[in-house]
Amino acid sequence: MSTLITTTNVERTFGTGALTTRVLKGISMTVEAGEFLAIMGKSGAGKSTLMYQLSLLDEPTAGHIMIDGTDVVALNEVEATTFRLNTLGYVFQDYALVPDLSAEENVMLPLLMRGAAWEAARLTARGAIDAVGLEGKYGNLPAELSGGEQQRVAIARAVAGKPKILFADEPTANLDSISGRAIIDLITRLNQENGQTVVMVTHEREYAMGANRIIHMEDGQITGIEELRPL
Amino acid sequence: MRSLRIGLLLGLRQIQRANFWTTGLIIFVMMLTFLNLIAVSGILVGLIAGAEAAVRERSLGDIILSPRDDEDHILETEAVERQLSAFPEIIAYSVRYQGGGELEANYMERRDLRGERDIAAVSVTGIDVERELAMTGINRDIVAGEFLAPDDEGYIVLGALYTEEYASNFGDIFETVSGVEPGDTVRLTIGEVSKEFVVKGILQSKVDEVSLNTYIPEREFRRLFGRIDRNADQIVIRVEEPARNDEVKAALVGLGLERQAKIQTYEEGKPKFITDIKNTMNLLGTFIGSIGIVVASITIFIIVFINALSRQRQIGILKGIGIDRRAIELAYVMQAAFYALAGSALGALLTYGFLLGYFERNPIKFPFSDGILVADPEETALRFVVLFTITLFAGFLPAWLIVRKNTLNSILGRK
Repeated sequence: MSTLITTTNVERTFGTGALTTRVLKGISMTVEAGEFLAIMGKSGAGKSTLMYQLSLLDEPTAGHIMIDGTDVVALNEVEATTFRLNTLGYVFQDYALVPDLSAEENVMLPLLMRGAAWEAARLTARGAIDAVGLEGKYGNLPAELSGGEQQRVAIARAVAGKPKILFADEPTANLDSISGRAIIDLITRLNQENGQTVVMVTHEREYAMGANRIIHMEDGQITGIEELRPL
Repeated sequence: MRSLRIGLLLGLRQIQRANFWTTGLIIFVMMLTFLNLIAVSGILVGLIAGAEAAVRERSLGDIILSPRDDEDHILETEAVERQLSAFPEIIAYSVRYQGGGELEANYMERRDLRGERDIAAVSVTGIDVERELAMTGINRDIVAGEFLAPDDEGYIVLGALYTEEYASNFGDIFETVSGVEPGDTVRLTIGEVSKEFVVKGILQSKVDEVSLNTYIPEREFRRLFGRIDRNADQIVIRVEEPARNDEVKAALVGLGLERQAKIQTYEEGKPKFITDIKNTMNLLGTFIGSIGIVVASITIFIIVFINALSRQRQIGILKGIGIDRRAIELAYVMQAAFYALAGSALGALLTYGFLLGYFERNPIKFPFSDGILVADPEETALRFVVLFTITLFAGFLPAWLIVRKNTLNSILGRK
């Protein structure tokens, strides 16, 4: 077991002077390789902001974040983009697929960006789409898929390149309960069967039950860590 | 290379999935811009080109022989003529004698000898009628009466701008005689010598050298002007392949004809003001076309800006999943390139497939020329490159502005 993410006193403030808002107040935590970590908390607790810091979409105001041995806070924009491409996978709340590209092409995008040949990228993408249960829907445009199917494509896109960490930001937020459950099952299976490290933000405790640990947040601080099942 | 591949994929798919009518409208705007750039200056230049073509056809021909700078006339004109007759590439030539005189009309009806005479200072050209018609076909410009016949004696053909009736449109610019019609008698005075001529026809051409001229047979010219040496003032030549007139000129020089005359191709001998006006028109056309380019650039900028702005979140997400910003910018540049290429291709098709031929068959009638459309392929290519480059920039700039925004702000739709 090795530590994949270590944060030390991560702070994030917005605004200046009297209007300064401290959204994260010295977050220190770790994520182990192969772990499924759920982050829970009420709206405004800072869980999404923490996720943005961990996934390099935002820069902390203070503190350090080490991911897979790299001090990611020190990376510039181009380096951060490359790091995200090669190391992280990201599933957004609202699927965030490119509407002009087919399901297959959406999944191929990061693979091509990594330098994969077209045909190899296509094969890998089809394999990833098959793995999320959408066999044969390679050529469908996002608009031709249901919300649950789009989120599956988004997951396929996030994991096709075998990232070290999969971030999922409330991936069930826009889905009905059945589709939401299916998505959570899929993510859990990825973790349990493939050893995929997952960091997921969710409101629903039910959806966090497949995680190894749940981090509870309130007012920008970690208020508790709940161990559900050992790694 | 990776960015290029992704950029092309994103750009291509955006174009494919875009609304057909919107894309069509943008391409239509680009086509109009292309036409504005090519056709406006092409027609402006074409006005002059039309005039130039008319001057070449009706007056100066492809090669012009004129007196050497140190002589008054072309020396040994008859010997020169013999050389020209034997030259295979020369299909026609005309030997002209030129001078100035005073034309008087209505003198027989004049009762008051102290009253004002109806006179005009005129240019007189003596011609071999057969050779002149073979060379220029100016008889086609006759608007009243008929042109001289080869054996005519005592007849004159007047340029329309010497008659009040035809020149009245131009105000008082020209000296004219009034009420002259074919069959009337006029008097031509050269120095102390006068001779009466019957007006056989009136010539009206868009070439001033024709409309501001009077034509009489060369025999009578020589008698009237006392030119017994038969040395002419101008020989104009038509060659088989006008584009190779410089080669024919070189051959004539090689024959030693420069000892008798100054030899110039049409391009060398044409009046300098034609080139000046042509350049001015070209400049004017380029200026007007440039306004079109600016408008098109702004149009493309707005289209790409709105497109990129409406996809701001998607752009943020693409960056979020690790897509290089250059790839995203390239996708929008590619869109702009597509609009420019498609619009220009349609514009070029319309220009070369239809407009050039149309204006050739239906020239724009102007007082001084029959305007055609001039679209030199090299010039067109150059203008296309300018349009294309500016369009690419107009596509890149808004994409760059949007893509450079903070990734998270783009994803969250924050300003």
